[in-house]
Amino acid sequence: MNAAEASLVSATGGLPPAPEFVAAARRAGRDAFERSGLPGTRQEDWRFTSLAPLAAHAFGHGDPAVPVLAGDLERVAGKPFGARLVFVNGRFRGELSTAHGMPTGVHASSLAHAISATPGLVESRLGRTAMVDGRPFAALNAAFLGDGAFVHVGADARGGVVELVFATASTDGPVACHPRVLVVADPGGDATLVETYVALGDHPVLTNAVTEVSLGAGARLDHYQVQDQPANAFHFATLTVEQGTDARLSTHSTALGAALSRSDVLARLVGEGAEVHVAGLYMADGKRLVDNHSVIEHVVPRGTSREIFKGILDGAARGVFAGRIRVMAGASKADAHQHNSNLLLSRDAVVDALPQLEIYTDDVKAGHGGTVGELDREALFYLRSRGIPAPAARGLLIYAFAREMVDRVAVPALRDRLGQQVAARLAGGGAILEAE
Amino acid sequence: MSQPSNGALLEVRDLRARIDAKEILKGLDLVVKPGEVHAIMGPNGSGKSTFAGVLAGRDRAEVTGGSATLDGKDLLAMSPETRAVAGLFLGFQYPVEIPGVGNLYFLRTALNAQRKARGEEELDAVDFLGLAREKMKLVEMDPAFMNRGVNEGFSGGEKKRNEVLQMAVLEPRLSILDEIDSGLDIDALRQVARGVEALRSPERSILLVTHYQRLLEYIVPDQIHVMAAGRIVRTGGRELALELEKKGYAWVDS
Ligand SMILES: Nc1ncnc2c1ncn2[C@@H]1O[C@H](COP(=O)(O)OP(=O)(O)OP(=O)(O)O)[C@@H](O)[C@H]1O
Ligand SMILES: [Mg+2]
Repeated sequence: MNAAEASLVSATGGLPPAPEFVAAARRAGRDAFERSGLPGTRQEDWRFTSLAPLAAHAFGHGDPAVPVLAGDLERVAGKPFGARLVFVNGRFRGELSTAHGMPTGVHASSLAHAISATPGLVESRLGRTAMVDGRPFAALNAAFLGDGAFVHVGADARGGVVELVFATASTDGPVACHPRVLVVADPGGDATLVETYVALGDHPVLTNAVTEVSLGAGARLDHYQVQDQPANAFHFATLTVEQGTDARLSTHSTALGAALSRSDVLARLVGEGAEVHVAGLYMADGKRLVDNHSVIEHVVPRGTSREIFKGILDGAARGVFAGRIRVMAGASKADAHQHNSNLLLSRDAVVDALPQLEIYTDDVKAGHGGTVGELDREALFYLRSRGIPAPAARGLLIYAFAREMVDRVAVPALRDRLGQQVAARLAGGGAILEAE
Repeated sequence: MSQPSNGALLEVRDLRARIDAKEILKGLDLVVKPGEVHAIMGPNGSGKSTFAGVLAGRDRAEVTGGSATLDGKDLLAMSPETRAVAGLFLGFQYPVEIPGVGNLYFLRTALNAQRKARGEEELDAVDFLGLAREKMKLVEMDPAFMNRGVNEGFSGGEKKRNEVLQMAVLEPRLSILDEIDSGLDIDALRQVARGVEALRSPERSILLVTHYQRLLEYIVPDQIHVMAAGRIVRTGGRELALELEKKGYAWVDS
């Protein structure tokens, strides 16, 4: 291991004690990370995303009890629109959280609490889909296992929203944290989960989140991730999903900030008739990099997958979209579609789009499409010819491109917030939404 | 070059423009006074839309010579949005579809941008809606169109009607309407013409680009110009349009 890798794992020394199944998972994660180290650009999945910038920082573990004012948190994470669990530097903070509005049938708590209160339930699911071998960030996350969120969607849950806010607070220097979210939905349960990632403080932070979702037969989860990190942050998110018969997952991610933002979605349709919708919006400017990788695996018959990612890249930003759809031999009548479109706002912005279809059966409907384009010059001229100044006209057109992704958000309060966050990054920002 | 004509709203002198290496406008002269309606006719590809675009600030063609002024101010030095604020409006031959930008919102943003640039107070949502309703009635536009994206999925005729609605709301001093009549059914032509007529006043001028003298029965022009190969080759009154209708363009070249 090099110095950066060693500094990343060194903080595991200070972890609180945990039951043996957690301790074992930590050891396995740590071993796997020590074997692999951080991935390099010679590895296929990291070809475009160099982790060299991490080496410039020595990340500490951050003080989990650091004072945080509710107002400061709301400034970066918005007001809660229902039950909200807040985590600071990876640890649950009850005084910043509110259980008010917790949907019927949904139990959300800190993972640390669930590990001691319902160890059997947690043990049977934890680490089941977030494999550590060959996945250095999942391994690193496992090495720090202990806290995060546990969301249990009971069979009687009929919708409703739970929000998780992960804030990294750096007071003395760079901070890394590795939160874990475990979602277990019993057969027929239905809920919405929103994960928001933000930072407080000026030092670079590294967030390495892993979310594991396990959906029972006929269960349904609407899942959102909003990454609104500061421009000097490093953000890694891994989402692993296992879906039972007729289970439906819709996951929607928005990557707004961070110097380097990488998302991995790994969805396995292991129950017949399962359906997964993966949507993502990413925006980057300056020299930032945003990378979305996904692997959707159809294992059994009659699975449906829909993937749509949209990117907006300005300055000398780089976007990466790598979407692999794998239809296994047994997955007849699979229906898979993927789309990725990108808007390049400057000559120096680049995007690497890599759709990959791997199909091992004939009885399948699969397709992909994508575009890389600039702002429509004639549309820009049309708006300007009506008296709208060029920057505002550009803002309108960029928002129009992003809007489809904002409109997909089914939670009205989140949709509004997201619309504002996207618009705020554009010229003429606030005004864009004023008349909506 | 000639003397500035007194009291001209639009004055174009020896205007030349090219697209890539091809010269499209080859020394074009035109003077439109306040209150006047002019029509430009001419064969396909003669440069009518290029001319209209150059006046409005479309950068597709590069101006290589000559001048164009609005109220004595150099149009060619202004950005498209500044030209709009100065009172110029271009009704597009092919209006652009902009999904994701609401039609009504677009119109309000445009109006308020112009008002703001002129130092006038912006209209709030309620006042604007009142104004928009009145103008929609004028051009007989179904309000349902206002909630769609700009021109999104509009038929050819609906797009043209939307151009006239925008013109009616923005109240430009010079409206350049590029084939505002193409694709319109008989009723729509009448309604669109009414919208244009309503704007006619001693201060405002209109420049119509059209292929058909039919429009000119509704909006009677003061002058008709025939454009061919990037120049105005003939200017006359209404009778010119009727003659063109009968004989085609072959005779003007001779
Ligand atoms: N983007 C372009 N690239 C190359 N040539 C162009 C371009 N736009 C216009 N032209 C050419 O310029 C010439 C004038 O075109 P313009 O659209 O101004 O004609 P027009 O008189 O409006 O014709 P119509 O009556 O068919 O609308 C045509 O020969 C056309 O092909
Ligand atoms: Mg034309």
